Amino acid sequence: MHSLIQLSIVVLLLPLLSFVILIFFNRRLPRRGDFVGVGILGTAFAISAYIFWTVIVQTYDPAFRVAWDFTWIDLGKVPGIGHLQIKMGIVIDNLTAIMLAMVTLISLLVHLYSTGYMAGDKNYGRYFAFLGIFTFSMLGIVLSDNLFSIYIFWELVGLSSYLLIGFFFEKDSAADAQKKAFLANRVGDIGMWLGILILYSQFHTFSFEQIYANLAAGKFAMSNAWLTAAGLLLFMGCVGKSAQFPLHIWLPDAMEGPTPVSALIHAATMVAAGVYFVARIFVLLTPDALHVIAFIGAFTAFMAATIAITQNDIKRVLAYSTVSQLGYMVLGLGVGAYSAALFHLVTHAFFKACLFLGSGAIIHAMHHEQDMRWMGGLRRHMPWTFATFTLATLALAGLPLTSGFMSKDAILAGAIGFANVEGGGIYYLIPVLGFFSAMLTAFYMGRQIWLVFFGESRTHLKPADNHHHGHDAHSAHDDHHDDHEVHEVSWNMRAPLVILAVLSVFIVYSPNPLDGAEGWFMKMIKTPATVVGPANHNCTALHAETPSPLMAEALPAVETHGATDAHAVTGGEHAAATGEHAFADPRQAEIAHAAHAAHFPAIYISSIMVVFGISLAGIVFVFRIIDPDKTAEAIRPLYLFSLNKWYWDEIYQSTFIKGSVLLSKILSWFDTNVIDGIVNGVAVLVRNLAFANNSFDKYVVDGLVNFTAFSVNTTGAVLRKLQTGKVQTYVALLLVVLFGYFVFYFTRLIY
Amino acid sequence: MQHLIPIGLNHYLTISAFLLAFGLFAVMTRKNAIVVLMGVELILNAANINFLAFSKYNGGIGGVMFSLFVIVIAAAEAAIALAIVINIFKIFKSVDISSVDTMKE
Repeated sequence: MHSLIQLSIVVLLLPLLSFVILIFFNRRLPRRGDFVGVGILGTAFAISAYIFWTVIVQTYDPAFRVAWDFTWIDLGKVPGIGHLQIKMGIVIDNLTAIMLAMVTLISLLVHLYSTGYMAGDKNYGRYFAFLGIFTFSMLGIVLSDNLFSIYIFWELVGLSSYLLIGFFFEKDSAADAQKKAFLANRVGDIGMWLGILILYSQFHTFSFEQIYANLAAGKFAMSNAWLTAAGLLLFMGCVGKSAQFPLHIWLPDAMEGPTPVSALIHAATMVAAGVYFVARIFVLLTPDALHVIAFIGAFTAFMAATIAITQNDIKRVLAYSTVSQLGYMVLGLGVGAYSAALFHLVTHAFFKACLFLGSGAIIHAMHHEQDMRWMGGLRRHMPWTFATFTLATLALAGLPLTSGFMSKDAILAGAIGFANVEGGGIYYLIPVLGFFSAMLTAFYMGRQIWLVFFGESRTHLKPADNHHHGHDAHSAHDDHHDDHEVHEVSWNMRAPLVILAVLSVFIVYSPNPLDGAEGWFMKMIKTPATVVGPANHNCTALHAETPSPLMAEALPAVETHGATDAHAVTGGEHAAATGEHAFADPRQAEIAHAAHAAHFPAIYISSIMVVFGISLAGIVFVFRIIDPDKTAEAIRPLYLFSLNKWYWDEIYQSTFIKGSVLLSKILSWFDTNVIDGIVNGVAVLVRNLAFANNSFDKYVVDGLVNFTAFSVNTTGAVLRKLQTGKVQTYVALLLVVLFGYFVFYFTRLIY
Repeated sequence: MQHLIPIGLNHYLTISAFLLAFGLFAVMTRKNAIVVLMGVELILNAANINFLAFSKYNGGIGGVMFSLFVIVIAAAEAAIALAIVINIFKIFKSVDISSVDTMKE
């Protein structure tokens, strides 16, 4: 076993140890054992950092990969299939090393932050236990080398998310939110499981490597549509976990959980697990599936951004922003900008965690006020939070010199390249939605910064009736702050903010602030060679007969999609020129190529959009050249549409939920009337039968028995008379019988 | 002496039948155990007469031998029967067999 594998097993099991210790013994430990959680996570991060150092910095090889597995369940020889066994295993490649370090770092920072934020909560110890099991399951997803264990850990993160959303379960809204999250995830997971089963039915293995090897060898026996279906079903797991349309509805409600949890689970790691999973299965996604994924991502990014601009709850804005950014990542994967999407995953994890922790600090300082309308002027009271929050906001908005700029730009360049390659008008919708969402992102984040940190405090403007409606209400804490003095948070909440903000600066990822491709991340994470491309007739069959002279020139590949042999060569040359590896699928090469070409247009457009968005926010909220209230009044239907989140909840309420209720009612009616009717009918039938049986018993069987007894009795009574005990009677009887015999005998003799 | 009917087998058999009838009658009706025993003797002798008659008309010595056996056995039987009667008398203080009905139980 490779030493890195051994270390990664230690990293995986440490948070589980933290969970076990804290869930059983937190009340017996000093400080409810929070130091156990922080200490264990610190150790886990140290080991992960060592793995990261070894893999990324020392080895520095895009193809680095070590794997280890063991047979978990051996089913032996199964008739008709052969030897069947389920394996568990660990794979460490560059992506795993990065994710490992990212998850443990953010988890460590959130643990540290929570020691301040959750102080005084009555379930303080259990909170850290839940964080432990979450981190364990998340690391499990990251390290898994097969679909089966990924699915197990997938459900475990769903469980820990459920437990943490409903951490304040005394509140109805939190209990509802946790149920909603669990159910929405369940819908996605069902699809994911079906997708796993389609692949398993074909190859009888869960292992990624073997599935891909089999696919590449063309052993998928069913039609291409089934492969597309398998890809889309697996993607459904991502739709649920990463809150993509149409299952995005749970994530904003999940903000009922404690704010550090929102930072860890619902912004940085768990929701990114969906994107990570799609990246793991990227090579088996057919172009058709990728198109669907791209459109879902683009639509989600756009929709969530439009909703975010009107929300008043500070965490809800960030939640919709998370949905929107996840949409970007999915879009990136869909268009084939694989490394860009994962780059965005990592950068987003850091700056969004920073934003959530910052909003937690604000909520903490504001005594559990979450409504931005009643904030304002906080920059003077909370300089550290202000600085870090602003930096993370700039990264989220995608302003140059930040990490978010590089990753988002790479995705948008990929989208342009994709649209160019696909060539259809409708495919331009994807980059257009992407750029428009980038502008909206800048706008709503500018609005948030302005409402929260600038101007004067508006606390006094708040209507009195819902004044003490705290969100993360821990009353013990409120007692100390009756003076309502807003103050900066303590060091253990400030340090994570600073670290995360530093990780949002471009220099961490790339020396060139304008091009992420020059950084170590994009160099280490390469688009893997697809295993389904040649099987797709859209790609090969179509273009085998239409070799286009245009294609030979290659840059930027417009008008047709797919590639000829000539183009594949061009792609290969290009790859060689840029130090990339050759793509098995010429289409991929072409998209990467086109994305590269679209790099500068993307930079210009997105910078313009972002600056425009921020300026618009400034015009509207700072200088009030356009009055926001009047504008909202003027476009009231649109405003309400956005404020009410596109009415998705209402639509689901009236379709799926009402439908389910109706179906339940019908089934209930069926149960009470038909099933119960049958049961009752059977009961009546049995009762009547029993009556008949009883009568038969009573009169016929008992009659027979009694008759036998009676006849025996009567016969006995008669015969008893003969038994006189006197010898002479017996002699007389003897004679009678003898006489009778003679009579009988002689009668026979005569006749 | 020609008008006299020569004595044949039927005469013997008739006498034997009468003896049997009388014997049975005595066995069935008398109350005194001794008389019942005498009835039994009559029945045995009726049988003896039959044996001898058949022996005479059939030739051979089998019937005679048989009747000799019967006489011997009758003697033994009489001894046993009288012993029983004495025991009955001891227990019941009477030889009236109509009062002896303990076999009913």
